[in-house]
Amino acid sequence: MDAFAQQLVNGLTLGSLYALIAVGYTVVYGIVQLINFAHGEIFMIGAFGALSVWLIFFQGNTALWVLPFMIIGAILASVTTAVLMERIAYRPLRNAPRLAPLITAIGISVFLQEAVRLFYGRMPFFDFPDAKQRVPFPQIAVVTGPAFEVAGVTIQRSAIFTIGCLLMSAAGLWFFVNRTKTGRGMQAVSQDPDTARLMGINVDRIIVVAFAVGATLAAVAGVAQGLQVTNINFRMGFLAGLKAFTAAVLGGIGNVWGAVVGGLTLGLVEAMAVQFIPGTFGGSPWKDVWAFGLLILVLVFRPQGILGAKVVDRA
Amino acid sequence: MSKIRFSDEARTKHASKCPPLAIVGGALMIISGLLSWSFDNRILGDISIRLYPAGIQLYAMMFGILGVILGVLLLRRPPWMSPARGLRILGITAIVFLVWVLGSIAIKTSGLINLNEGGWVALVGAALITLAGTLSPDVTIDVRKWPRLSSALEIVIIVVLMAVLLFVVAYTLDIQDGVIFASFLLAIIGMVGGLLGTGFGGYLGFISANNRRPLMLSALLVAFLFPFTQNGSDANMSIATQILIFAATALGLNIVVGLAGLLDLGYIAFLGTGAYVGAMLSNSAFSTVGWHPPFVVVMLVGAATAATFGLIIGTPTLRVSGDYLAIVTLGFGEIFRLAMFNLDGNNGPDLTNGPNGIPAIPDLKLFGFDFGAEHVIAGIPLGRFSNYYFLLLLLLMFVMLVFVRLNDSRIGRGWVAIREDERAAEAMGVNVFGLKLLAFAVGAFLAGLTGTIKAHQDTSVSPDQFIFLESAFLLAAVVLGGMGTVMGVLVGATILKLLPEKLREVNDYRLLMFGLLLVVMMRFRPEGLVPNKGRQLEFHEDDTELVELVQAVHLQEAK
Repeated sequence: MDAFAQQLVNGLTLGSLYALIAVGYTVVYGIVQLINFAHGEIFMIGAFGALSVWLIFFQGNTALWVLPFMIIGAILASVTTAVLMERIAYRPLRNAPRLAPLITAIGISVFLQEAVRLFYGRMPFFDFPDAKQRVPFPQIAVVTGPAFEVAGVTIQRSAIFTIGCLLMSAAGLWFFVNRTKTGRGMQAVSQDPDTARLMGINVDRIIVVAFAVGATLAAVAGVAQGLQVTNINFRMGFLAGLKAFTAAVLGGIGNVWGAVVGGLTLGLVEAMAVQFIPGTFGGSPWKDVWAFGLLILVLVFRPQGILGAKVVDRA
Repeated sequence: MSKIRFSDEARTKHASKCPPLAIVGGALMIISGLLSWSFDNRILGDISIRLYPAGIQLYAMMFGILGVILGVLLLRRPPWMSPARGLRILGITAIVFLVWVLGSIAIKTSGLINLNEGGWVALVGAALITLAGTLSPDVTIDVRKWPRLSSALEIVIIVVLMAVLLFVVAYTLDIQDGVIFASFLLAIIGMVGGLLGTGFGGYLGFISANNRRPLMLSALLVAFLFPFTQNGSDANMSIATQILIFAATALGLNIVVGLAGLLDLGYIAFLGTGAYVGAMLSNSAFSTVGWHPPFVVVMLVGAATAATFGLIIGTPTLRVSGDYLAIVTLGFGEIFRLAMFNLDGNNGPDLTNGPNGIPAIPDLKLFGFDFGAEHVIAGIPLGRFSNYYFLLLLLLMFVMLVFVRLNDSRIGRGWVAIREDERAAEAMGVNVFGLKLLAFAVGAFLAGLTGTIKAHQDTSVSPDQFIFLESAFLLAAVVLGGMGTVMGVLVGATILKLLPEKLREVNDYRLLMFGLLLVVMMRFRPEGLVPNKGRQLEFHEDDTELVELVQAVHLQEAK
């Protein structure tokens, strides 16, 4: 039972991270039917943004009040990248054949990874560490440090932070989507872009907002990941992005709450697979395989995902 | 590039001044080749001596000669040509070429001061050519006025072009200096771009549509002759075999992506399947399987295994929207790599030796022919890589045959229909699911086939050869060359494999460039460098000139 509870906590932590990133996929997909393959890189750039802010302004300082500034830095870096990406690469392709934006997305993904790898340590004016290897991430007081023990279950402080981030982000997102004018505009555009345009909604602006919203949550996830793993690297976005996309499909792509549910489910499945699949195919070497296997199973038996958003088929 | 334009009035007013401008510009570039470019005789071959053109000076003269020819053509324009457009492209690439060359000289000799008059004269010439091209009025090409030559003459043109191709390839591979290599490449781009810009490309397409068989034969001949130009050196042959493997794999991917329009991001896994099967069934001491059949059987087993994987992955995902396929194949690619990494006996059965892979795969021996040994044919020694080169060439021909035959069949037309509009295709009675699955399985089969040879050529397989980036490279080759074409993929694969080998200076930036390349290509030239004309039309539906060209070629083919 202890093992189960422990994996439950681990799974929820991992799942929260996936959920935060998955929202970005699903929001963009819901509006422009585009798999923003480079979203994992936005997450990575968020982590590097937070690190940069810390290195420039607070180097050596690990007090809790630094954290909000780091998160703001992460969000700034991610949102800027995402908006530029939309503006420069995706917008001109809006009426192109479907394959074009997907290929562009792969290009952006490779480009961003390499740009960070090659240029992060060589920026003029700033003395940043070389990003070709792992870069240590500052360990902020209170949210990192000795773990809690509750009834035999170890709970890392960073895990609580990650889950807390998801809860707060979800609340914020709910408020934004349902209670603000822009949020309702987003709902309208995702239902029918042409009619939404006729109703006076600036569709281009909504698309930018969708990218920005996804980037914001990914940036928060980037900080959470940095605190949890204690280091970051330019490759961290690839697998995380892939998993998060799996989570988005699992929950029902296009549905914001689906992304959250899907992320948590995927995290739990992975954690449980590590613990409970017997024999030589269990354990952590195979957990990614089980996660992708789950994706394939979902596509076979329930392509619309857990929450069953309508499958938009404009292929 | 077409953004830099003069007003229409200015262009009509100055139309008569353009041909002399172009001729003078071309002449200046020719003269520049005879002048000295730098005080320093240690750089870029020796370009400091007057009246003795070498390397870069020769390239500048080539620009000049083409400039003069196009200038003369501008004076007496054949109705099927637009020399002005050619001049524009030629001039702009010449400027890029010169900026690159002069910049490199300046960096290598620490300062622009070390430049001699030659470079500056050439720059003026290039500027004049560009001006002439930009200032000429636009003309419409009349493709019905193509000259009708006797078919013997057309064949001669093709053979000459092929011979030039062989020479250029052998020459390119011989260049050791990265800067000279890049400038030669720029020169070639300028020449070819300038010629194609005039509308010559359409005419060439027309000739080759007339003479398919001689074209194929001479191309094959050129490919088979290539190892004999190397004098037994294995350095370039090793690159050439890499290119062939890459090209064959990319061509297989092109069936999936280019013909059927299915984005497969885990294609490298099928190559990997073939390679691992080839390695496990080989006589390697590290092989984990007790069965070692003859290689022909191994090839079939490898290909069939890959195709089976293709069916397993394809069956669930091809039923849902295309975007899912991209991600599921990506996931499959990762599963494959992880599985090969893990199956070392500790996690699951011992099949692949885990991260170490299977080394020491022996060379092939087919029908008494030892691929590891050197053979002498007609006095020219052919080393190990040359042997594999011939085998891979056969493989590439087979893949090309499959590609072309499928594309020209009912199946190929079905794929086009699916690619353009899946629902309409379904409504017309096309078996959408079946055809997609077929494309997927054929692609996997061909990759598996290639993989078995790759295992022997590389002598080892390991999981890190089959990472996602390799799939991205393959996709880049397809996109760069042109989706749905054979020529395009060959060009794309050659560029992507050759450039990093020759440009060691920028090797670290290779991936960055690839990423950028994908984005830029999709934005500005989604049909690729060597597009299928019909396919190009899908991207540029309102280009009337293109419509006419496509019609003319189709008419000729129908005859």
